[in-house]
Amino acid sequence: MKQKLARLGLNGRLALIAFTLGLIALFAGNPYQGSQVTLDAKELGIMVDRQVDHITVDELADWIIKGRSDYRLIDLRPENDFSTYHVPTAENVTVAGLTEYPIQRNEKIVLYSEGGIHSAQAWMLLKALKYRGVYILRGGLEEWRDRILFPNIPENPTPDQASLLETMKEVSRYFGGTPQARGQGKDSPASALTLPKLEMPSSGSPAVAGKKKKKEGC
Amino acid sequence: MSTLARILHLDKTHEVHIAHVAQPYWNPYLSGIGLGLVLLAAFVVMGRGLGASGAFSSLVATGLHAVAPDHTTSNEYFTEYIGDGTQHPLKDWLVFEVLGVFAGGFISGALANRIKPTVEKGPRISRRNRLLLAFLGGGIMGIGAKLARGCTSGQALTGGALLGVGSWAFMLAVFAGAYATAYFVRRQWT
Amino acid sequence: MNAPFYKYGLFQDEVSLVVAFVIGIGFGFFLERGGFGNGRKLAAQFYFTDMTVLKVMFTAIVTAMVGLYYLSVFGVVDLALVYVNPTYLLPQVLGGLILGIGFVIGGYCPGTSCVAVSTGRIDGLVYLLGIVGGIFVFGEAYPLVKGFYFSTPMGQITLPQLFNLPYGVLVFAVVAMALGAFAAAEWGEKKLGSRIVEN
Repeated sequence: MKQKLARLGLNGRLALIAFTLGLIALFAGNPYQGSQVTLDAKELGIMVDRQVDHITVDELADWIIKGRSDYRLIDLRPENDFSTYHVPTAENVTVAGLTEYPIQRNEKIVLYSEGGIHSAQAWMLLKALKYRGVYILRGGLEEWRDRILFPNIPENPTPDQASLLETMKEVSRYFGGTPQARGQGKDSPASALTLPKLEMPSSGSPAVAGKKKKKEGC
Repeated sequence: MSTLARILHLDKTHEVHIAHVAQPYWNPYLSGIGLGLVLLAAFVVMGRGLGASGAFSSLVATGLHAVAPDHTTSNEYFTEYIGDGTQHPLKDWLVFEVLGVFAGGFISGALANRIKPTVEKGPRISRRNRLLLAFLGGGIMGIGAKLARGCTSGQALTGGALLGVGSWAFMLAVFAGAYATAYFVRRQWT
Repeated sequence: MNAPFYKYGLFQDEVSLVVAFVIGIGFGFFLERGGFGNGRKLAAQFYFTDMTVLKVMFTAIVTAMVGLYYLSVFGVVDLALVYVNPTYLLPQVLGGLILGIGFVIGGYCPGTSCVAVSTGRIDGLVYLLGIVGGIFVFGEAYPLVKGFYFSTPMGQITLPQLFNLPYGVLVFAVVAMALGAFAAAEWGEKKLGSRIVEN
């Protein structure tokens, strides 16, 4: 055997190596990692405790108004709810569809759902799959309704509140909502109010499309 | 003599280094392994393969945009390479990779004394005709590469290693096209 | 390990351009080492006198394919994140035929012509100008060929998916096929060969 190997030239030896590796490949199994993942529980736990991955609705509203496009806004609700109303620039993906959805692991991802449970669960999934920048919209769409679309503006604001309230009103109108005076009793919850039409806001809507296509081919 | 030198076919006859004598090419299987490892590095580091013709598309689009901006932006194909203006169209992965190819080819050629201004051709064709055919062949290649969404590097090599269906079909077609045409241009090469 | 590194966000776009340049240097280096900066050597493939193109190309394919397969099996690389060109069958076959014709007429392909230029080949430079012209023509004609360009789409499909076979089986098949082709090439070169050497 050894003598035979010695008589084999360089090319023959390379061929032998290639053939052996090819042969092993027949039995070595599936190269795709699939959806099985491992995760660092402690690291994730610390991140949850510190709440470093929360985005407030105010921040999100600010980003949308400024037309920032360095993040992907993902709406995790069912398609029906999405087509009734969604936060401008959002993309509709279900939690199960997330792993198949074309988002790169280095992109900034903001998740929201109705309350926060789905986005928290999806956050865990994406973190385990080694997505880097995953954020949760705190309070979800409920908070978006209460604070951005239909903010509660008291009838007689104190002077130091006034400028903040003015901004809130402006933001609300920008997104097609209506500022409310509901008082403290919450007798008419915001969810009962009519949601703005989808084409709102018509002006200044940030253009997500039109970026240079990432051509990865030749 | 070291094993490495023997592997690289630098046997006794070539060991005497006379300046400006071109060294022979490497054993093709070793060159192939080197090329394969570079491709593998691209997969591991970038998650993408190699390419070449895409860089020239960026170049053509950029050049055209400088000369006739309106015309270029009205062309759907070139617009893709121009982008939305947030980034210079030549600030592109493939453009930098191809710049590296020029440099790498030069380094290898210089180390082996293989750099010399020349025209590669068979003995039965004039220089002028060879250059005409080179231009014609380049033009045909450009059209084919764009239609096929890639050239030998991006489709055959990269797609071949990734077992892409279209890339393998492409590769077979390239060999078919070339072998079918070889007879008609034999005076150029043999 | 988390590979492909770029897709896991381990470095940004600016750095990726440096990576591109370095990888390009390696690409160009080994192309030149194999003799791919020489149009005569490339064209000889199609007269069966020098089978270097086949040998280098298929060795590179086998090396990268086998390497990627094992790195994925061992969990180093997430294969699903490596970009596979989508298949548009008819345009790719026709494009391949046209490209093959251009290859034997011009003597180079886009990558090898860069190496030819940097080692002084004037025909390589003229060939590059030809490519620029060809791309211009294609771009201008794009509205006319757009329908065909997007015909027969099959998505990012791979041979294992097409034949419904395990990935490893295809890896073995390609290795076996390449080795068979190499054996045939060596035999053929001995019979008809006059290997093109640098002179």
